[in-house]
Amino acid sequence: MKMEEMSLSGLDNSKLEAMAHEIYTDLIDDACLGLCFEVHRAVKCGYFLLDETDPESMKDFEIVDQPGVDIFGQVYNQWKNKECVCPNCNRSIAASRFAPHLEKCLGMGRNSSRIANRRIASSNNMNKSESDQEDNDDINDNDWSYGSEKKAKKRKSDKVFLHSLKQPGFVNPNSPRRSKSIKHKNGELSTGSSDPYKYTYNSGINYETLGPEELRSLLTTQCGVISEHTKKMCTRSLRCPQHTDEQRRTVRVFLLGPSALTELCSSRSPVFPGGRSLPEPEPSVENDSYDPSENQALMSRLQWDGSSDISPSDSASSKTSTNNSESKKTKKKKPHLGLSSGSGSGSGSSQQGLGSSSTKKKKPKLLAPPTPSIYNDIN
Amino acid sequence: MSKEAQMRATINQKLIEMGERERLKELLRAKLIECGWKDQLKAHCKDVIREKGLEHVTVEDLVAEITPKGRALVPDSVKKELLQRIKTFLAQHATL
Repeated sequence: MKMEEMSLSGLDNSKLEAMAHEIYTDLIDDACLGLCFEVHRAVKCGYFLLDETDPESMKDFEIVDQPGVDIFGQVYNQWKNKECVCPNCNRSIAASRFAPHLEKCLGMGRNSSRIANRRIASSNNMNKSESDQEDNDDINDNDWSYGSEKKAKKRKSDKVFLHSLKQPGFVNPNSPRRSKSIKHKNGELSTGSSDPYKYTYNSGINYETLGPEELRSLLTTQCGVISEHTKKMCTRSLRCPQHTDEQRRTVRVFLLGPSALTELCSSRSPVFPGGRSLPEPEPSVENDSYDPSENQALMSRLQWDGSSDISPSDSASSKTSTNNSESKKTKKKKPHLGLSSGSGSGSGSSQQGLGSSSTKKKKPKLLAPPTPSIYNDIN
Repeated sequence: MSKEAQMRATINQKLIEMGERERLKELLRAKLIECGWKDQLKAHCKDVIREKGLEHVTVEDLVAEITPKGRALVPDSVKKELLQRIKTFLAQHATL
């Protein structure tokens, strides 16, 4: 074995190459032979010449190379330009759009019922919201539930709309989405309404037409920030996310004068930049801004609820506020009168503005001279 | 038998036993079809058949005509790759 090994390793490369070449040639010959057998069998079995056709047929099926035509000679867009007349509405529709049009036109098919339902829902929404906006002030009790109902309905109709929106190329002029976006653009589409209590669907409010009393009452309930584009006041709530409290404060200063801030601060305005530092001024002024009936009710409440309102730190808000954190915030802020940043106090107080509004009326009064009266009563 | 011949025989034996020869054959076939060698040769066969007459073609005729042309028509890349593989095999197994 060793001898053989030595002899094998002694083979130089040329011999190895020769061997390799020989093996290669063998393989090639095998391939050729295989082909020959295949062809010969095909000839003898008669299927060798099957793929040959006569020249005439060859010409018929030649590859076409003209512009505007595919390789078979057929026109590409032949049916695109043709128009069909719809038997239902008698309009001429493009052929490629005919089937979907017919689906909607006849009211059959999956999407047409969905669209119809959504239209009904949105038209219901619009009718309801428009008619009941004016009653908003009267139906104070129902405010929360009403708002949530409206929101729920809108979400539902939005969902339906979004589903149907998945169809390409479908635009509904009545879409709630469109109207929603319209609503939030502060009154771009509306004419200025002179009646502040008329909450038109699209509007902001034109502040120039309002008197000071109206403005004040408006600003106590609404955001009121004046949009640069439309010069109208934002009709959203006091906590509307589009505007900051700084903006709201600026608007109030602008509209009512700086002195008005004190009134508003001691009332339930959302902005308290130095609000906490102004408990003293004008409890009488407050009476002017509120209905006398409200005021009397407050006074009576103060007397009756004196026990619970003892400590100025634990103002009535702690008892009646909906949010405990609010009261905590007020506790923190009272020692920092006038130090807290406008935004910080604004945010805290803006929350309170939304909560029980009556508590706000009470608190400054408690800090004000009336508090000693309460003490006196109890003592 | 000379040593060389003996060695050749050994190598061939190994090729077959290990199945390497089959693998090489399949590889070659696939590559020849891919590069169009088979179609070229088939067209040549047609000519031969037309020449000899459809009824009277024999295997020997075909083989005699086809093989030299077939050998010549193999593209270089295929040839090189196959040789490479064979040499690798030899290098691995020629010393054993």
